[in-house]
Amino acid sequence: MVAIDVAGVSKRYGHVLAVDDVSLQVAAGEIYALLGLNGAGKTTLIRMLLGMAHPTAGLVRVLGSVIRIGERSAWAKVGYLVEGAVAYPELTVRENLEVMRRLRGIGAATVDTIIDRLALGAYADRRARHLSMGNLQRLGLAKALLHRPGLLILDEPVNGLDPAGVVEIRTLLADLAREEGTTVFLSSHLLAEVARVASRIGIIHGGRLIQELSPRDLDGHGRRLVTSARDLEGASAALRANGFAPKREPDGALVLTDDRAVERPDDVATLLVAAGCPPTRLVVEQAGHEDLESHFLRVIGSEMGEPSDG
Amino acid sequence: MGEALWAELLKVRRSRLPWVTAGAFTVCAAVGGMFMYILLDPGRARSLGLIGAKTQLSGATADWAGYFGLLAQTVAVGGVLLYGLIVVWLFGREFSDHTAKDLLALPTSRTAVVLAKFAVAAMWSAALAVQIGVLGLAIGALLDLPGWSPATAAAGLAKILVTAALTVTLTTVFAYAASAGRGYLAAVGTMIAVLFCAQVVAALGYGRTFPLSVPGVYAGLGGTDQQAPGPIGFALVLLVGAAGLVATVTWWRRADHIA
Repeated sequence: MVAIDVAGVSKRYGHVLAVDDVSLQVAAGEIYALLGLNGAGKTTLIRMLLGMAHPTAGLVRVLGSVIRIGERSAWAKVGYLVEGAVAYPELTVRENLEVMRRLRGIGAATVDTIIDRLALGAYADRRARHLSMGNLQRLGLAKALLHRPGLLILDEPVNGLDPAGVVEIRTLLADLAREEGTTVFLSSHLLAEVARVASRIGIIHGGRLIQELSPRDLDGHGRRLVTSARDLEGASAALRANGFAPKREPDGALVLTDDRAVERPDDVATLLVAAGCPPTRLVVEQAGHEDLESHFLRVIGSEMGEPSDG
Repeated sequence: MGEALWAELLKVRRSRLPWVTAGAFTVCAAVGGMFMYILLDPGRARSLGLIGAKTQLSGATADWAGYFGLLAQTVAVGGVLLYGLIVVWLFGREFSDHTAKDLLALPTSRTAVVLAKFAVAAMWSAALAVQIGVLGLAIGALLDLPGWSPATAAAGLAKILVTAALTVTLTTVFAYAASAGRGYLAAVGTMIAVLFCAQVVAALGYGRTFPLSVPGVYAGLGGTDQQAPGPIGFALVLLVGAAGLVATVTWWRRADHIA
């Protein structure tokens, strides 16, 4: 079953195209992580999933319901946390949860259960204005989890948590997916955490979904093409002019990680010869497993056409 | 809507605003009482200098009808600010505290949330109007004002309550300003603009058909030379109130909630 189905969704604010023709599907029970730089379109996409913003084009389905104005049949099964946890400062932790419980129309016992689960017992009667950022984040997660949702949509869920809290939330999310079949759609800047918990990852840049991969795919992304030439500046310029993103190593070699360079080193050799900078060395190296951070930066750098050879 | 109403009432109970507004209306009733105390004795008015002169300029008479009229006028002017403050807080705080997003994807509809806020504003405002009426009775009795009769008291209290109802009806516009402006600032600016326009138009003599001036003119702020508002004036107040309510509900339902 598909929990989230985004089909050709775009969102324009005036002249700004915040989300550009994004299509993705998240299967039930998956943990899908959306990565992107600030302003890449993550939060706008999440807001469209939750009906808070309306697509300029395309269609969003959540748990089978088309998200449109006035449609709220999915929300009973969806928990969410968007752009940081918030709470009514004059209410206690318990009262904040009680407000959410009432608005969700669920049983009274759920409040105590979630207070225990998120380790908020010591703060239950403390006003939200006196909570630390980490505990406020726990309260936000508690509100999202209060009704045992089938789908969790979380924007930066571990913001403000200490390292123990980060591990705790990672374990909680993994447990929810494994034991209760909860689908999780999250965005995060903590790439190491994402790599540990996500079953699939989407990379969004400039409003476009530029890549989807599973953490296993990173094993195959460690290859690189290393080349040298007598005229390194000329070789670098020729490569850049042909859409590659060469990086210069400390020993003077040029390194290409673009898939087309690694797959077709003969094309690179031909290109360099044609540019009058014949390679003195050309070798494909296996670097082994690539971590998500390196992969993310490489993909984003390549999208930005970043001149990275200096 | 019951659960949304419960949530809004809890937020109000835990805030300081009920005490602030109740305190402000108490001061209004007490100042009205002070005016009556001064007007009861012309010699006292002369001996109090500027305050005495101001009191006499108010045109009020030192009796029960005069005191209730003064309180109704206080509700018409002070109500725009105090009832407005209630509505602006109920809506604007959701944006200032960034809690609005927690209300947008729930089994409880956004319409129910907005209507619950309006219901709480109406209940709270009605309680304040009753408070000023009760305080008026107590202060009037304490001063032993002349001209008491049950009919005078009933008419005076009715005038206070109707003025309050008219003023509260107009505050839906502030709810829209607080929502579309995503916070307090635009709504407070709208309140000041409404108060200014109401005074100017009433002073120009068109208050009985200008909806924002109708509560004040009804309460007698225009003096004896202005006619009381007729059905058209009251209908226009209802129209503005309904438009503010519909605009607020529509905005919550249809706007892009991006902040």
